[in-house]
Amino acid sequence: MSTETTFKSPEQLGTVEQRIVYESGNEMAAYAAHQINYHIMGYFPISPSTEVAQFLDLMKANGQHDIVLIPADGEHGSAGICYGASTAGGRVFNATSANGFLYMIEQLPVQSGTRFPMVMNLVCRSVSGPLDIHGDHSDLYYALNLGWPILMCRDPQAVYDMNIMAIKLAEHKDVRLPVLVASDGYFTSHQKRRVATFSKREDVHAFVGAQPPAGYADVLDRNNPITVGPYMNEPDYINNCYQQSEAMYRAETVFEEISKEYFELTGREYPLLDLYRMDDADVAVFIMNSSSEIIKDVVDHLRDNGIKAGSIAPNMIRPFPQRQIAEALKNVKVITVADRADSYGAHGGNMSHEIKSALFTYGNHDIKVISRVYGLGGKDFYAEDGLAMFEIAIEAMNSGKVAVPFDYFGHSAGDPSKAPQRVLEPMKYEDLNTGLITVKEEVDENGKIKLAVKVPPLRNLTKKPKRIAAGHGACPGCGIFSGLELFFKGIEGDIIYLFHTGCAMVVTTGYPYSSHKATYIHNLFQNGAATLSGVVEMFWERKRRGELEQYGLKDDFTFVMITGDGGMDIGMGPAIGAALRNHKMIILEYDNEGYMNTGAQLSYSTPLGHRTSTSNVGKKQQGKLFQHKDTAQIMASTNIPYVFTGSEASPQDLLRKAAKAQWYAQNVGLVYGKILITCPLNWLSEEKDGAKIIDAAVNTCFFPLYEIEQGVTNITYNPEDKGKRIPTLEWLNMMGKTRHMAKPENQERLAAFEAEVERRWTRLKAKHEHPAL
Amino acid sequence: MSKLPQKNELGFFEIRLESIGGLGANLAGKMLAEAGVVGAGLNGVSFSSYGSEKKGSPVKAHIRFCDLHTPIRATSPVERPHVVGIFHEALYKTINVVSGVYEDSIVLVNSTKTPEQLKDMMKLIGGTIATVDAIGIALEENNRVNMAIMGALHRLCPFLDPEFFKGVTRKSLEKKYPHSVEPALRTFDRGFNEVKFQTFALPEGVTMPEPVRQDTPTLGYETQPMGGVITNPGNSILKDLSISRQGMMPNFEEDKCIHCAACDNVCPDFCFVWDEKADKKGRNNMFLQGIDYQYCKGCLKCVYACPTEALTELREVDGYADTKRIPHVFNR
Repeated sequence: MSTETTFKSPEQLGTVEQRIVYESGNEMAAYAAHQINYHIMGYFPISPSTEVAQFLDLMKANGQHDIVLIPADGEHGSAGICYGASTAGGRVFNATSANGFLYMIEQLPVQSGTRFPMVMNLVCRSVSGPLDIHGDHSDLYYALNLGWPILMCRDPQAVYDMNIMAIKLAEHKDVRLPVLVASDGYFTSHQKRRVATFSKREDVHAFVGAQPPAGYADVLDRNNPITVGPYMNEPDYINNCYQQSEAMYRAETVFEEISKEYFELTGREYPLLDLYRMDDADVAVFIMNSSSEIIKDVVDHLRDNGIKAGSIAPNMIRPFPQRQIAEALKNVKVITVADRADSYGAHGGNMSHEIKSALFTYGNHDIKVISRVYGLGGKDFYAEDGLAMFEIAIEAMNSGKVAVPFDYFGHSAGDPSKAPQRVLEPMKYEDLNTGLITVKEEVDENGKIKLAVKVPPLRNLTKKPKRIAAGHGACPGCGIFSGLELFFKGIEGDIIYLFHTGCAMVVTTGYPYSSHKATYIHNLFQNGAATLSGVVEMFWERKRRGELEQYGLKDDFTFVMITGDGGMDIGMGPAIGAALRNHKMIILEYDNEGYMNTGAQLSYSTPLGHRTSTSNVGKKQQGKLFQHKDTAQIMASTNIPYVFTGSEASPQDLLRKAAKAQWYAQNVGLVYGKILITCPLNWLSEEKDGAKIIDAAVNTCFFPLYEIEQGVTNITYNPEDKGKRIPTLEWLNMMGKTRHMAKPENQERLAAFEAEVERRWTRLKAKHEHPAL
Repeated sequence: MSKLPQKNELGFFEIRLESIGGLGANLAGKMLAEAGVVGAGLNGVSFSSYGSEKKGSPVKAHIRFCDLHTPIRATSPVERPHVVGIFHEALYKTINVVSGVYEDSIVLVNSTKTPEQLKDMMKLIGGTIATVDAIGIALEENNRVNMAIMGALHRLCPFLDPEFFKGVTRKSLEKKYPHSVEPALRTFDRGFNEVKFQTFALPEGVTMPEPVRQDTPTLGYETQPMGGVITNPGNSILKDLSISRQGMMPNFEEDKCIHCAACDNVCPDFCFVWDEKADKKGRNNMFLQGIDYQYCKGCLKCVYACPTEALTELREVDGYADTKRIPHVFNR
């Protein structure tokens, strides 16, 4: 966050000293959190909310707050961290979006049902398959039944204000609930606006309290031991729910009190409903968050043309301001309710039903309600779209009837002449099955099976078609695709592969394009291994039932799951599950040392001291705080038949390992392999140096090339034996993300990293020498 | 507060930057907006197009300025720009970079071509074309392309104060990179001073074309296969990625090639074209034919992998890739 953008407000409102910044919604959420100085944030990166943690980490690196930022292994983990932290008496903060929100959703009723306050920003984004990362309210609508009060933010100013008010609301004695602060992904999270802020942290603390209020359940108070989260069935549970329901309704009054106090301080008013020119309106549009601002321009335009138009947007949707909505609509003839998410099969979006319910409850049977679902997956909402929403209402007012009560808005039929046409014929099996690569079973003197592998020079394999088509959108010099294709070259015949969410998936399947010549599946980040294991077992079962004869398969498929971008963090559990079940498949990880597709956040495979967007370098922090994960060894301890590491800089070595991997995955069970690949964009390295950097990583012994075959470790390339071992700094100096590690002040960190590299390498050598290890 | 030279019906002066990821347009958009909001005392909003855009892919940045008391409500992209800043001249090949311009809009292009040439290339009917050789300036001053474009954009937006921007630049660079302050300021000044303008009057009886909304899809609910399944996979071969190159490209000389495939092994974009032929002994073998520049993003990994002099770095000149391209043969 740049402080250069701070400047004095020409018009000073309220009583507290304020200053203007020019920042985005995510920056303002982070800015408010840093002023509140929460104790703990447990988080996991997901677009578009990730920046909140990034900005906080950057501020932390510069010593601007004390919040302990904990990078979780997934959103489920982040919610667990937050829950635990909130039972321990301090202030807790989180931010998430979309599928990540759903991944943690199991935890959220626990948080509200056991009544531990915290604040979470939901930077709203589409919950979807096929994957859409842009903004709509489909994640938000899952939050309607969680028991969390929900505050709505129409712009970055509201993100700031609501974040300051949210913690006070959450901790209020009449509420004691976790609070959700919802803003629109990209439209609000990534658009910069002028925002007025409290100049001084003391003033923020004077408003929210420097410390959370005392006297509530706190697991750290040893003199008052408590049992948190008992086993509670009927007949007691309903009473816990009733307490929670009452607290939720009280949140409305409490919010009104808090926002009144806030108005006096800042001059900014947040009534339950933002009513725009509604006093004498005949037609109205109800629409939430960022679109509710755009619609005001449309209202002005219609008013200029003599139409009594108005708009309504809620600042809070849990509790739902039912009475206020009924009151605002009592003289309106027609309202269009625009929902930015569908409730499939419900004949209208969630808000349209809640508004109808409010009208019915308050006896308004005369108004006509039209429901339209719009702007899904971030489809832009232009003023002309708002005008169309009003036109539907005006038409109903003039004709006295609603022609189509529920419909989508902004969808399009498409031109039949532009329907998808096949441009590539399927690859020929004969081309993929070159016969140039052979794997033969041999039994050694101990009766153990050994594989004799033959691979040809690379030149001969250029005849073999690449599985991935040219034209993908990866960055120049991306190491993923050269690495993957080299591995695929070592595999004969047909592959069915699954890519889970990450750079490789995003850049190869931007709709309506696909760079996959054979069949490809995507599933979410955490679940690739489980999903592919389902495909594998269906293949074998359908084959057993004789159902695959229709396809004329010449051989069994080789099944490969491609993971990377930190996928072995959030996907660790399902990967271990698949390994323990020993499905006939390969898990291949491209290790780019971070979550590169979401903006280069740290993953557990980021090495100590490396700079990422959540392990910044500043006067108080020098890159990542803990050592890198040794995924190959973790997977080896599941006792799968084959584990390997590889690099594009050692092509023959990787080809042989690919051939073995295929043999094991077709004949024995699960294989795990890891290739280190460069990410020039986020490693801040030269594109042309990709292979050189990886080669250096191997020669430092940070990334040794080895395999573990039937439990026996074999180092396939030992830089010490070849006299090629180099100091780690030689490798680290090739990348901008690690250049700081050469500085004298980082000597200790560098030494700790080198010691860990050496320790792991020494253990590996011992394993290499002793087959029993 | 500065006065805006033009405004749309809602009171906005709108700017759209057209670029490819990695050229700094996103940052330029932010800096430009800050120059207006913080420096010139205007109200404003700025944002970029986000998604799967990676380095080398087309991106847009949008900036709106208005008077301090004009409420900012729209979050939609800039469709009717008063100024368009084009960071890479080849963008016109795949994108309608001048979509929605008014007849009195200014289109700035980072280019050494003449405004007449650019007018034809971009199919602009009327308006002002401004050119600046930002790459040339940046190379000469050893600084960034976007600094030169920022200078030029300041010239196009007379309500912005160049001195404010230079002050911010100095402040943000002097602590960490003191040696780059002067080159950055020189690059900015040269961008500001070296812009050339030419106005093309809209021919009589002709109107400027209406903008096409940026959210108009190719497929629709009647033509999209169910569930988002792509039934024509591999169709990314239809894409032209040559705009991803930022000045450098690999050059192939067949007579120096030993056909070892080291280049093919490291190429992220599958640009190397091979064919099977009889070798000197009459045995079939694979021979490298050349490079399919349609997909080459200019990373130059191949040049460094090549054990001979067959692949070398080349400063890209207009048309070279088209004449030397060896296209892949698909569906043999």
